[in-house]
Amino acid sequence: MKNEENLAYFLNEAKTIKPRELEKKLRIAFLASSTINGFEETMRVKCFEKGIECITYVADYNQYNQEILDQNSGLYQFKPDITFLILDTRHVLGEYFFSWYTVPHDDRQKIIDTKISELKNICNTFTKNSDSKLVLTSLQIPNYSPYGFHDEHITKSLKQVIYEINTELFEWNKQYNLFTYDFNRFVRKFGENNIFNYKQFFSGDIKISTEYIPKFIDDLMGYVYAVTGTSKKCIVLDLDNTLWGGIIGEDGFDNIKLGDNPIGRSFVEFQKRLLALNQRGIILAINSKNNFDDAIEVIQKHPNMILREDNFACVKINWDDKVSNIQRITEELNIGLDSMVFFDDDPINQEYVRESLPEVLVMNLPKDSSQYAQIITEMKEFDVLKITEEDTKRSDMYLKQKKRKEFESKVGNFNEFLKQMNIQVHVQKADSFSIPRISQLTLKTNQFNLTTRRYQEDEISKFSSSDDKIVECIQVSDKFGDNGITGTYIVEKKNNEEWIVDTFLLSCRIMGRGVEEIMMNQIIENAKSSGVKRIKGKFIPTAKNKPAENFYEKLGFKKENDFWIFDTDNTLKTPEHIKVIKNE
Amino acid sequence: MNEKLYEIVSKVFNVDNSRINDETSPENLDEWDSFNFYVLLDEIENQFSINFDLDETLEIKKVGDFKKLLEKNGVKI
Repeated sequence: MKNEENLAYFLNEAKTIKPRELEKKLRIAFLASSTINGFEETMRVKCFEKGIECITYVADYNQYNQEILDQNSGLYQFKPDITFLILDTRHVLGEYFFSWYTVPHDDRQKIIDTKISELKNICNTFTKNSDSKLVLTSLQIPNYSPYGFHDEHITKSLKQVIYEINTELFEWNKQYNLFTYDFNRFVRKFGENNIFNYKQFFSGDIKISTEYIPKFIDDLMGYVYAVTGTSKKCIVLDLDNTLWGGIIGEDGFDNIKLGDNPIGRSFVEFQKRLLALNQRGIILAINSKNNFDDAIEVIQKHPNMILREDNFACVKINWDDKVSNIQRITEELNIGLDSMVFFDDDPINQEYVRESLPEVLVMNLPKDSSQYAQIITEMKEFDVLKITEEDTKRSDMYLKQKKRKEFESKVGNFNEFLKQMNIQVHVQKADSFSIPRISQLTLKTNQFNLTTRRYQEDEISKFSSSDDKIVECIQVSDKFGDNGITGTYIVEKKNNEEWIVDTFLLSCRIMGRGVEEIMMNQIIENAKSSGVKRIKGKFIPTAKNKPAENFYEKLGFKKENDFWIFDTDNTLKTPEHIKVIKNE
Repeated sequence: MNEKLYEIVSKVFNVDNSRINDETSPENLDEWDSFNFYVLLDEIENQFSINFDLDETLEIKKVGDFKKLLEKNGVKI
């Protein structure tokens, strides 16, 4: 028994949490068809440990229907950010859970359809009444059948129909503001006999045994990271005994363990997991104390190496200390320390980075490399609300960024460099294709962000179809390729006199090349042609948006109380090295 | 066994060991509620590697009852 995974620990710890001013706040509601004591306590503690202040609402036992149907319910008054609706097969099917096989074949479909439409009605009502993300658990597929192995050959068996209901639930993600949590993933991992304890079920209608509640909440943490925008973007890796077994400087190219032996296989497996994450858009970087030539030779030439030079957006192989290397990596990649995960087998390095850079998530990598693959596959920190096309292209973009940097230092003069970059900015109105990405930018952009307002996809969608708002985004390309959609602004057309900049942000990888001026000029020119006299905007300071602090002033906005104001009789001087293309 | 049992109880309810004795029950320990009783039960079963029968668990009213049950199930003092 590890104390920290134990439910008693969470129950007791939950009592000691005092409200404190954490930057990230989250309101979570739990609705369920069975006893869920312990869920909210565990959730609050886990959030608190991640620096997220979590406030919870727990609906009374089995009251989820009433809470959702009644527009004045405590649930809606609570205004949750995330709502977990935890339903279970026994509850949804009622007596059919036991007597399914006595239902005539022809009636089975009718029953499933009714169940699906009941669930649909609940989700429909909820999304109409609330802006909260809804996370609905799919139904557990039972292990048992009275027909034993013949069950596999029965049409519309209980297993099959639950599978059918679940498939339908997974589809709803496209229609509603909801995610369906694959409960069977949880069951596959821990097993029905472990998570379901008959004694607890008979005694207190507990359907997830107390021992497994912390593990269940752990699974739900992915949604927390995604909604709060605290997911990790970059993995910083040590080399010796982290990506391969042994020490290259001592053991040499031929003797490190990578591949054809038990230890070597564990590192190959770990690298394969890292590669898959990299291909999904997680950035990889190296932070290793080694002779550069020795280590890079392995990465370039070792036959069993999975990750190659191009998989790493940033490589620091030197004799500097690990902390300064991580600081250099954040600067070069322009990624916040709090978006980073650090993998290093050496406990001293782990402790050193943890102490010096508390924002970095430092993994507790044990000595035993056979655990590495499992450790990375159990992480929920890479979960995001939407995986956009930008994500899958990200690694490639960072590679191009590396080449831009090299080009910049080759050209020497910054203005000359900008001229030679052939920067093009495509300005476009938000559409169904760009809305997911725009929402993602508002959720993730911290540095060049004037107001740091976070918007979910459905909110952006609402804004873009409203006559009172302008939602536009920009796509930037240059001689090295396309940067994708990297900036956005939302303008509120307050009245015929003035417009208000609600949101204005730019991904840090294209900051400082004049693109921000081009974007603001779009708003100004647009206002002018509509006869609007003033553009007003706020700068809302956060711990991270210092790079945008002087933006308004630099562009000639004048400060009046809380607002920065631009008189549209004036004209903005825009950089000449950028070509603007407006897509209507 | 006494010591181990008291330690588990004090850990689950997060109260000082000195407040635990055979007479400790929901009546005299506020930290003991109807839900964390299941957590305690599960913990004791795991720690002593035994499984109580459902009817046995329904009879538990105080810490001393756990002791009797453990003895009945062959856990040596």
